[in-house]
Amino acid sequence: MSIANKLQTLPKTAIYGILILCTSLPLFFQIPLPNNPDQASKDFFREMMTLDASKPVLLSSDWTNSTRGESKGQMKSVLRMFMRRGQKFVLYSTADPQAPQVALDVIAEVNRERIKKNQEPYKRFEDYVVLGFFPNAEAAINGLANDFKATVKGRKDFPVGKEATDVFQSPVLKDVDSIKDFQMVVVVTASKTSNFTVERVYGKTKLAFAVTGVMGPETKVYYQSKQLVGFVNGLKGAFDIEQLMEKGLNVDSSASFRDDTHPAPVEGFKGDDNVGQGTRYFPTLHFAMALMIIMVILGNVGMVLAKKDSSKKELGGR
Amino acid sequence: MSYPFIKALVGVLATVGLYSVLYKENKFYRFFEHVFLGLATGWTIFVLWAEVLKPSWYEKMMGTPSVNGGPATDGQWAYILLLPLGLMAYFVFSKKHNWMSRIPIGIILGLWSGQQVQVWFNTYGPQIKGAMKPILPSAFSSFTVPANASAVDVYPSQALSNLLYIVTLLSVLSYFLFSFEVKNKAIIKFNMLGRYLLMIGFGAIFGSTVMTRFTLLIDRMYFIWIEFFQQQVLGRG
Repeated sequence: MSIANKLQTLPKTAIYGILILCTSLPLFFQIPLPNNPDQASKDFFREMMTLDASKPVLLSSDWTNSTRGESKGQMKSVLRMFMRRGQKFVLYSTADPQAPQVALDVIAEVNRERIKKNQEPYKRFEDYVVLGFFPNAEAAINGLANDFKATVKGRKDFPVGKEATDVFQSPVLKDVDSIKDFQMVVVVTASKTSNFTVERVYGKTKLAFAVTGVMGPETKVYYQSKQLVGFVNGLKGAFDIEQLMEKGLNVDSSASFRDDTHPAPVEGFKGDDNVGQGTRYFPTLHFAMALMIIMVILGNVGMVLAKKDSSKKELGGR
Repeated sequence: MSYPFIKALVGVLATVGLYSVLYKENKFYRFFEHVFLGLATGWTIFVLWAEVLKPSWYEKMMGTPSVNGGPATDGQWAYILLLPLGLMAYFVFSKKHNWMSRIPIGIILGLWSGQQVQVWFNTYGPQIKGAMKPILPSAFSSFTVPANASAVDVYPSQALSNLLYIVTLLSVLSYFLFSFEVKNKAIIKFNMLGRYLLMIGFGAIFGSTVMTRFTLLIDRMYFIWIEFFQQQVLGRG
């Protein structure tokens, strides 16, 4: 078999084996990477850190464990920011029946971090309310946008140590009549719910999204036309936010962590637990991408060599 | 063996089982695929009743007692009328009575269609407005945008970016002129430019997709090696 053929018929199992090595070995090491956060991530961070803690935020969690690699890191950073700033929030899901439980697991994880540091855990019903799952995302978001009270009426949540209670008895929802009473809607999503939110909620309150890398290009359109105040895109976005939480914005002289369009300094949480999936996975992703680039080059070299071989044979035949 | 260890071990077996299909179709993969589907279906049925039908339909129909000092509510019998309306949708499976399924579908379509004007404008209105970008510079003190730039000034680098944006927008739009035959050579070349720019866009989207897929694999590897092997088996971290 010629080199050209060999390059084009590398055994699939060997490639998968190398890929598993590339995505496993770097996880055991801490590999520091330089970073220049995207403008969209900076805007997302600034908006989250300058929210009025006395007014609630509506948080849509529309992801499950199938996109844990990207979405959990984003969700954890959002929750860390909320809890450290004492921001009250209302959680709901429209994409998948599993999504509320997955979000509750992350809340429990962040609460365990707080307990370890002798901080008060965030209390369900008092600090945040879980509205649960709403089927038919488009209709549900339309309902929340146009008549929040009627859409949520009858929903119950669980105060700590008590039985299920009407959500409107929670202090979090005491001043809420419509979606305009939330100062922002934050959507952590791996599905079309981001589009539905723009379609139905835009113009009523501020919108900020954290989306998977697949959805990044379509979401950027909304950000550029200022329908979103900021957005976090995939693993790079998760990495950006974790770095911004550590270093702040316009705080030190680093050019990467400066935003000339909004020069006011925004402090992060220096020295706190800011590391998450973004910082852990982003260096490893580079090894996987390098492998893919090498494979694409090898395949193309093989193709060019095969073409040359066949044209030589044709000339020889004549 | 502790509960977290058993939970993580089952997770590792399921991960390895599902990835084993990369080698070839096998019974180990099939088993975990069915377990996953069964769990997801069971969970969905429970959530649909507990979080959707019970509070939004059943309790409104039957009424609820006072809980934790909250108000008791009276039942409203009219909610029962939603049941036959919803069940009509299932007549789509009957050859003789499938006309009945068109009633609920028609109601949903009517509601949806009526909202589309507002939806369309909410989605595309700001994008059309955002596409009106100045392509002539108005400030020449610097090529790039200085730190203390005014929002109304347009610097040469901005004008260049805006020009690229407008050319991309118009050439891509012109590529979709299918209603009549384009014979003008300049427009044909402009169409071709739009086609190449679309290809670049699709390439960028494909790149993002690949990165996401790799991230999902990295997460599974992190679960196996760090969360299970390092933390549960070796007891570190």
